[in-house]
Amino acid sequence: MKWFIICFLIAQCLASGNREGYREELTLRPLADGKLAAHFSFSTVLERDEPRSPSSLGADDISQHYNIFPLALGQILREYAIPELHLTLNSGKWDYDRWGHPGEAGVGSGAELWAWMGDGAEASIDERWEALQNSLAGLFCASLGSMDTLHTTSPTRAFPPTGDLPRLPQPHTHSLRHATLPAERVCTENLTPFLKMLPCPARAGVAALLAPHRIFDADWHGLGVHVRWRADTGIVLTLSVQAVLDPVRTSADRRRDWTLRSVFDRSIPRACAVAASSSVRVLLPSPEDGAYTLFPEPTAFPDSGLVIYDVTNNTSDLDISMRWPDEQRFSYPLDHLPISDFSAQRTLKGSSQTHGHLSMIIRNNKPITLRTLYLETMPWHLEFFLHTLSLTCSDGTKCNHLLQNMTYTPSQPHAAPALLQAMLELPPHETLHISFRVRKAFLRYTEHPPDAQRGWDLPPAVLVPADAPDRRVYTSALLVDLATPDFSMPYNVIIMSSVLISLIFGSLFNMLIRRFAVVKVADPLDSNVG
Amino acid sequence: MALELWFAVATRVALALSSVGSYLQDDDQLSSPLTSYDRLQEGIYLFQHGIDPYSGGTFRHSPLALSLFSTVIPLSRVPSKLIWTLTDAVGAWALVNIWRARSNTARSTRDLRVAAIYLINPYIFLPCLALSTSTFETTLQLLVLMFASRGQSSASLLALAVLAHLSLPNLLLLPPILLLLLSDPLSHLASPRPFPKKHRKSLPLAAEFIVFFAALTLASSLTAGGWGWMRNTWGAGFMLPDLTPNPGLWWYFFTEMFDHFRPFFLMVFSMHLLIYVAPLCIKFQHDPLYAHFLMLGVLGTFKPYPTLSDAGLFLSLIALFPEIYPYLRYPIVTTLVHLHAFLMLPLFHHLWIGTGTGNANFFYAITLLFGLANGGAFLDCVWAGLRVAIGEEKDGWAVVQE
Repeated sequence: MKWFIICFLIAQCLASGNREGYREELTLRPLADGKLAAHFSFSTVLERDEPRSPSSLGADDISQHYNIFPLALGQILREYAIPELHLTLNSGKWDYDRWGHPGEAGVGSGAELWAWMGDGAEASIDERWEALQNSLAGLFCASLGSMDTLHTTSPTRAFPPTGDLPRLPQPHTHSLRHATLPAERVCTENLTPFLKMLPCPARAGVAALLAPHRIFDADWHGLGVHVRWRADTGIVLTLSVQAVLDPVRTSADRRRDWTLRSVFDRSIPRACAVAASSSVRVLLPSPEDGAYTLFPEPTAFPDSGLVIYDVTNNTSDLDISMRWPDEQRFSYPLDHLPISDFSAQRTLKGSSQTHGHLSMIIRNNKPITLRTLYLETMPWHLEFFLHTLSLTCSDGTKCNHLLQNMTYTPSQPHAAPALLQAMLELPPHETLHISFRVRKAFLRYTEHPPDAQRGWDLPPAVLVPADAPDRRVYTSALLVDLATPDFSMPYNVIIMSSVLISLIFGSLFNMLIRRFAVVKVADPLDSNVG
Repeated sequence: MALELWFAVATRVALALSSVGSYLQDDDQLSSPLTSYDRLQEGIYLFQHGIDPYSGGTFRHSPLALSLFSTVIPLSRVPSKLIWTLTDAVGAWALVNIWRARSNTARSTRDLRVAAIYLINPYIFLPCLALSTSTFETTLQLLVLMFASRGQSSASLLALAVLAHLSLPNLLLLPPILLLLLSDPLSHLASPRPFPKKHRKSLPLAAEFIVFFAALTLASSLTAGGWGWMRNTWGAGFMLPDLTPNPGLWWYFFTEMFDHFRPFFLMVFSMHLLIYVAPLCIKFQHDPLYAHFLMLGVLGTFKPYPTLSDAGLFLSLIALFPEIYPYLRYPIVTTLVHLHAFLMLPLFHHLWIGTGTGNANFFYAITLLFGLANGGAFLDCVWAGLRVAIGEEKDGWAVVQE
């Protein structure tokens, strides 16, 4: 009887419908400037599962049984009926010229959260968006709750859904909400809950390499949470950690040789038992960069520039090392060609606190014409004057025709940001200079942050190539200095202005109401008056 | 006389065509968010590209200005400067006509002085060089007074309706204009008497104004495609969404205000403008042109988004009332304070915003001084206007108020 019950329960579990698959992968790419780009990707698939329908949000949810999929994140996704979610927390500025394109495209500085949500629930999409931010803020210990309406836009041309969106009954559609907090840095307190969502965090598999004191020492580091739904596969969750580490800086004799132990302070101990596949991919540097050795021997050689170490069934430590034995010290290459398709640089010019110029310089590094979408989401602190928009080519001529198909939503003071999306056409090897005038706002007393003299962070502009929308490029975040009032003065201002107004008011009514009288003045020659 | 006038106009045209204006176009003293030329260009650009210019906070001009400058008068550098200078010249012509109506003369030697006080007043010509649309408001104001002085009621009320559309506080000038249309512009300050006509006679005129105003509102809504433009243009004066520094008293008060008190004080400041209309019209019912002049002084000091041209209009209109000059008590003080404020306003604005070495308080203090100068001039004119009725003081007697 006992065996029958156990077999029955096991059969129930096996037939329970949802199957979860977990794969982990680390990609290591040595860069030409001596750095090492690491991209950890942990992907969990909930097969045959569907996102919750928004119209069912009023009733209780059916129970979800997760073995590998993180319960906290799953509950958040079902609580607000979210089919697609992307959260990235990054620190540093990704150098596209020297490092190329990252594995995961979301490398804008700070926190970026965007989600596609369907309407049809009792709560509106904006209410669910706000609740989503607060839930994720609690889950990841990041202050994402300040992504309020002052930072939220809906740039549907630049951020199309990367997966499928479930079909909704007729009048309902899916909407995008996107917000960026450029000043939000990522640190250990964000990594700890992130690691808790992995099945084998610190003891087995590739995730054992994630040592906070090395990851957050990197020149650029970022965490990413990406949820999408594929109709044929199910819900796919991808957790990614990207870092650009610098072996030259951390080595004693300034060499760019690296091992897993020298870079991450750890090695891969043993395989993660629940991982369907666990591998380390190493992209090989070009041989003319210097002869190198790679140890141990990889398990697979799929391509001339790629080797794979399969650690799915590893039982012992794996420490990969790459050395350049012929080099004494690493010499930084002084001339280099940019390895990205196009380079972009955005600056805010002007020293006045009322006006400035927003200037973007884009250089096309390829010999073909590139079309890219230019996205600006600008908080209302900077008002655009689009009638001053001018594009200048490298030879000084005006090329305003290269900016086409512009959609623009103006900013609303104290409320919503501006949204500018335009298609740019970049001729081969051309440098385009886009510039327009901006106006800086004057804030109310209570709208200034506690450190008002620091300025306000402006989110990066995003350039989305038309033929590869998932290889988008982020420019740097900017800092705008807004004029501040004197914060010690509210009472004084109120009383001084009120004094002036009441002085004039009072004198006027005094004059209007009193009557004139002609009085006799004492004669100074009159001796009777003393 | 005509030669000197042509010389003045030619100088103005030369100044306008020079590059002086390009430095002044951004100046916050000369153009407010409701009158700035940059914002007008931005609104027209958005309108021509199919984006609702009133969906954001940049464009706060009236739809009348939008339709005028996007269809009839396209904006471009040199024609705009000439149009603005021409508008100022029309304003000077209107002022001379008001003077002639008030003094009941056809042509006098004082005409030139009156025109010059308007044309070379820096408070008037600097906003004109900066291409601020307050020039149009000033000229419309003078046209309203000119038509009312001549008794042309429909033209006057239509001009007032257009003016109220461009700048809503000017609605408060309807009562003095109605009184002026029912009486005459001649100087009666020395002989006050109760208003001769029945007040019921003003009802058809008020109805005519309401019809003009409603028609313009309808036309504006057709241009702007909805009613949202009211929140951006007229609503700006009530809600104060744009806290750009200007020579007025509102901006710093509401910058430093805590959010809890903001609605109350916005209401107080708006109602405050209302309480001046009735007393001035009642006390000066014998001379409605003077009552209108005093209301312009009130508006110039206390309106939500003033520029220097509002104060300039009041000061230039003093030229119409030479009978009060002997009775002004402290004209030199007022002039000196005005001069002080005029020189310090751009200086401290630049120190705060441009170089960053000064504080907002520097500029705010000069704003208070500017308000004091305007208020002082206004109070002096009220006193002098009342005092004219009493006449000269005899030896051994003094005129006081009890």
